[in-house]
Amino acid sequence: MADFLALLVSDAALGILLGCVFAVIAHGLNIIWGVAKVVNIAHGEFIMLGAYGAYFLNLYLGLNPLMSVPIDAAIGLVVGVGFYFGFLYRELRGKESMGRQSELVTLVSTFGLALVILNIAQAVWEHPVGIRWDPGFVQVGVVTLPLGSLYVAIASVAIIGLTDLFLTRTYLGNAIRAYSQDIPATQLMGINPTFVAAVGIALGFAVTMTGGALLTVWLPIGIDPVTIGPLYAPISFVIVVLGGPGKMWGSLVGGLMMGLIINVGQLLLGGSIALATAAAFLILIPLLLLRPEGILR
Amino acid sequence: MSRTLEVSNVHKYFGGVQAVRGVSLTLGEGGVVGLIGPNGSGKSTLLNVIAGVEKPTKGTIKIGDRRIEGLAPHRIVAEGIAKTHQIPKPLLTMTCRENVAVAVMFGRHKERDPGRALQEADRVLALVRMKPKANVLASNLTVQERKRLEFARALGTGASVLLLDEIFAGLTPSELQESIALFAEVQKKTGFGALVVEHVMRAVLTLSENVVVIVEGVKIAEGRPRDVVENPAVIEAYLGAEGASARA
Amino acid sequence: MRLLSVIRTVGPTFWGIASFLVLLAAAAGRMPLVLLTLLTGLLIFAALAYSLNFITGLTGYVSFGHVVFMAAGGYALGYGVGTLNWHPVAGVALGAFVGLILALGIGAVTLRFRGVYFAIASQVTAVAAFYIVLEVKELGGNQGIRLSVGFDPLAWFYTIWVVLAVEVGLTYWITHGRLGYGIRSIKTDEDAAKTLGINAAGVKLLLFAISGLFAGAAGGVYYWQNSGIFPNEAFQLTFSLQMLAMIVIGGMGTLLGPLFGAVAVYLPSQFFLTVLIGFQFVIIGLVVIVIALFLPEGIVGILRKYVPELRGLIE
Repeated sequence: MADFLALLVSDAALGILLGCVFAVIAHGLNIIWGVAKVVNIAHGEFIMLGAYGAYFLNLYLGLNPLMSVPIDAAIGLVVGVGFYFGFLYRELRGKESMGRQSELVTLVSTFGLALVILNIAQAVWEHPVGIRWDPGFVQVGVVTLPLGSLYVAIASVAIIGLTDLFLTRTYLGNAIRAYSQDIPATQLMGINPTFVAAVGIALGFAVTMTGGALLTVWLPIGIDPVTIGPLYAPISFVIVVLGGPGKMWGSLVGGLMMGLIINVGQLLLGGSIALATAAAFLILIPLLLLRPEGILR
Repeated sequence: MSRTLEVSNVHKYFGGVQAVRGVSLTLGEGGVVGLIGPNGSGKSTLLNVIAGVEKPTKGTIKIGDRRIEGLAPHRIVAEGIAKTHQIPKPLLTMTCRENVAVAVMFGRHKERDPGRALQEADRVLALVRMKPKANVLASNLTVQERKRLEFARALGTGASVLLLDEIFAGLTPSELQESIALFAEVQKKTGFGALVVEHVMRAVLTLSENVVVIVEGVKIAEGRPRDVVENPAVIEAYLGAEGASARA
Repeated sequence: MRLLSVIRTVGPTFWGIASFLVLLAAAAGRMPLVLLTLLTGLLIFAALAYSLNFITGLTGYVSFGHVVFMAAGGYALGYGVGTLNWHPVAGVALGAFVGLILALGIGAVTLRFRGVYFAIASQVTAVAAFYIVLEVKELGGNQGIRLSVGFDPLAWFYTIWVVLAVEVGLTYWITHGRLGYGIRSIKTDEDAAKTLGINAAGVKLLLFAISGLFAGAAGGVYYWQNSGIFPNEAFQLTFSLQMLAMIVIGGMGTLLGPLFGAVAVYLPSQFFLTVLIGFQFVIIGLVVIVIALFLPEGIVGILRKYVPELRGLIE
C-alpha cells in the first residue's frame, strides 16, 4: 500500500511537471485562438518543428533545450507573421469577426497545411531522434524528480507568466487584447489592426515553438514527425478548451489537469499511456458539454 | 376547445441574474396583448422562454390544455406558436420566397412538397405586401424589410399565436402607420393571436386589447391600454419618481 | 406518364452520373484487370467522399475524424471474414452497420458542439478510438487482423458500385426535397432554422449517421483486398485529409463535387505511389490550401461561375 502511495505521489508530481509543459505548448494555441478567434489545426506540426529546432541547435551548437528557447522563439515570430499573412489576413481584413465561412476555410486550409508539413518532415527526417541532456535528479521527499523536467517546467510557467505580463502591462499587449475583443473599436482608437493581429499571431507561434523545444526533455528518443503532431495537437486543443480560449492562465490549469490525468491514469489503468490519453479525451468531452466556456470562470 | 396561451408563474434565472420573476399572463385565442416595460426588464427573455429558446427555471406554460414549457423550439412551432427575432435573422443565402417557404415546410402544417410551399410563400408575401421582393435575396433587404420578412415567416409557419419582439421599432411615422394598419388587416384575415413586446407606444395602444407591464422581471400592472398608461406605478417605472410627480 | 415526368424533373447531373455508373457496370466484365482495379479504387474513394459530403458538405460541420468510420468498417470486415468466416460482402454490410451505430453514438455527443469545437471533438474521438483499439485483443491489438480473402475482382467492383449508386441517389433525394431546404437553413443560420420548426439536432444526427454508414461500407470494401487491417495505418489522418480534399476540391455539398474530387485526388495519387510515397499528400495538402483559401466553391462552383452554359446543368 505504501508502495502504491509512493508511486501515486511520484506519478502525480511528474504529472504536474509534464502538465506545465503541456500548458506551454497549448498556450501558443490559446493566444492565437484568443487573438484571431481561429484554430490552427496545424498546431501540432509547429510543435514538432520547434522540437526539431531544439534538436538541431543541440546537434550543431551544443545548446540544451533551455538555451534554445530564445532562438526557437525568434523563428516562431517569423513563422507566425508568415502564417498570418498567408492564411488569416484575407479572411480577417475588414471584417468584424470571423464568419462561419471563414471559419470553415481556416479549418480546412490549416488541416491541409498540417499534412503538408507532416509529410515533408516525414520524407526528410526518417528516423526518430532525441536530445541527450541529463542534468541529473533531485530528491524531494519520497519523490525523485528529473532535473531536466523540473527546469523545463519552471521555464514553461515563466513563459506563460511573461506573456501574461506582456499582454496586460504593455501598450502593444493591451492593444492585442483590445483587438481580440472588438476590432472596430480598436481601429477607432487609432490602433492598426493588421499590425496588432500580426504581432499577436507571431507571439502565439513563438510560444508554440518554444513549447516544442521544451517538450524534447520528455521525448528522449521520440522526436519524430509522425507522432508528435497528431498526439500533441488534440492535447493542446483540449487544454485550451478546458481552460477557456483566450484566458491566459487557463492554459496552465488545463495543462496541469491533462498532465495529472494522463500520468495518474496511466498508473491506475495499468501502465498504458495510450489508454490513459484516450480516457483523458473521453472524460473531457462531456465536461465541455457542461461548461462550454471552460473551467475557469 | 380554445387555444389560450397561459403563462403561469414563470421564472427564468441566468446564474445570479433573475431575468423573469414569477410572471403570469393569459392570451386568449385571437387576442392581442401588449408587453411593455423599460429596457432590460425581461420581456424578450419571457418571449424566449415561451418560444422554447430558453428553458424556464420555474413555472408552467400551456396552450389550450397542453403543457409546453421546456420544449425544444421546433416543438413549440409545431404547437402553433412562432416568434420573431428582435434583430432579424433572415436566411441570408435564400430569397424571401424561400425564407417563407422554409417556414411553411417545417411549421405547423409541415408541407412536404417544396413546390407547394413556394406557392404558399407567395401567398403569404402578398398578404404582407412583400410580393415584389419575393425573388430578392434576403441579404439585400433593408432592416425594415427584414423585420417584415420575420413577420411573414412567422405567419408562414401557420402559427395561431405570434410572439412579436419589437416589430415596430425604428420605423418612420408613415412607415409605422402603414405597419400598424397592415398588422390589423392581416390579423383580421388570419385570426392569429399575438403577444407584442414593444417600446413604440402608438402601436401598443392601437393594437392591444390588454397590456401587461413588466419591470425588472416582475409584472407590475395589467389592464386596458388607456388605464395602464395612466397608472402612476407604470409612469414611475418609465420616467422615474420625478416624472410621476410631474404628471400628478 | 409518371415515369416521363420523373425523368424530366430529375436533373441532367443525376443522369450524367447515372449513365457513367451504368457504363462502368456494363464494361466491368470486359476490362483488363489492371483497369478494373484502378476503377474500383476510384469508386471506393468516391464513396468515401460522398459519405463525408453528407455531413461536412451539406451542413458545414467539418469532421476531421471520419477515418474512424472507415477503420470501423475495415475492422468489421476483418472480424466478419477472419473470425466469423463470412463472405466479404456480408463483412461490408457489417461494416456499414458498425459505421452507423458508431456514428449515432459519437454524433449524439459531438454534434452538440458547433464549428471549431465540433471539428476538434471529431479529431479527438478519432485519436481516442485509435488508442482504444490498440488495447482490444479481439481486434488484434496493435498487430491488427491479417486477411487472406480470395481475389474476386468483379464481386469487389460490384459491391462498391452498389454502395456508390445508393449514395448518389440518396444525396440527390436529400438535397432536392424538403429536407434539402432544412439542411440549407441549418447551414446558413442554425438558430433561425430552429425557430422555423426545423429539428436541427435530429437532422444533423441523421446526416452524420448516414455518413458513418457509408464510410463504414466503403472502408469494408477498401480492406477487402488488403492484406489485413492494421491500426497504425487504418487510423491515419491522411484518410481524413483525402476525404476532405475530395469534397473541397470538387465542391462541398454538391452532387457532382465528390466525384470530381475523387478523380482529382485519387488518380494522380496512384501515379505518385510509384514515384514518391507520401509526396502525394504534400501535393494534396497544398491544393487543399489553395482551393480553400482562394476557390472555396471547388470545381463545381468554378464551373458554374465561369461557364454560364453549365449553370443549369451542373449541381
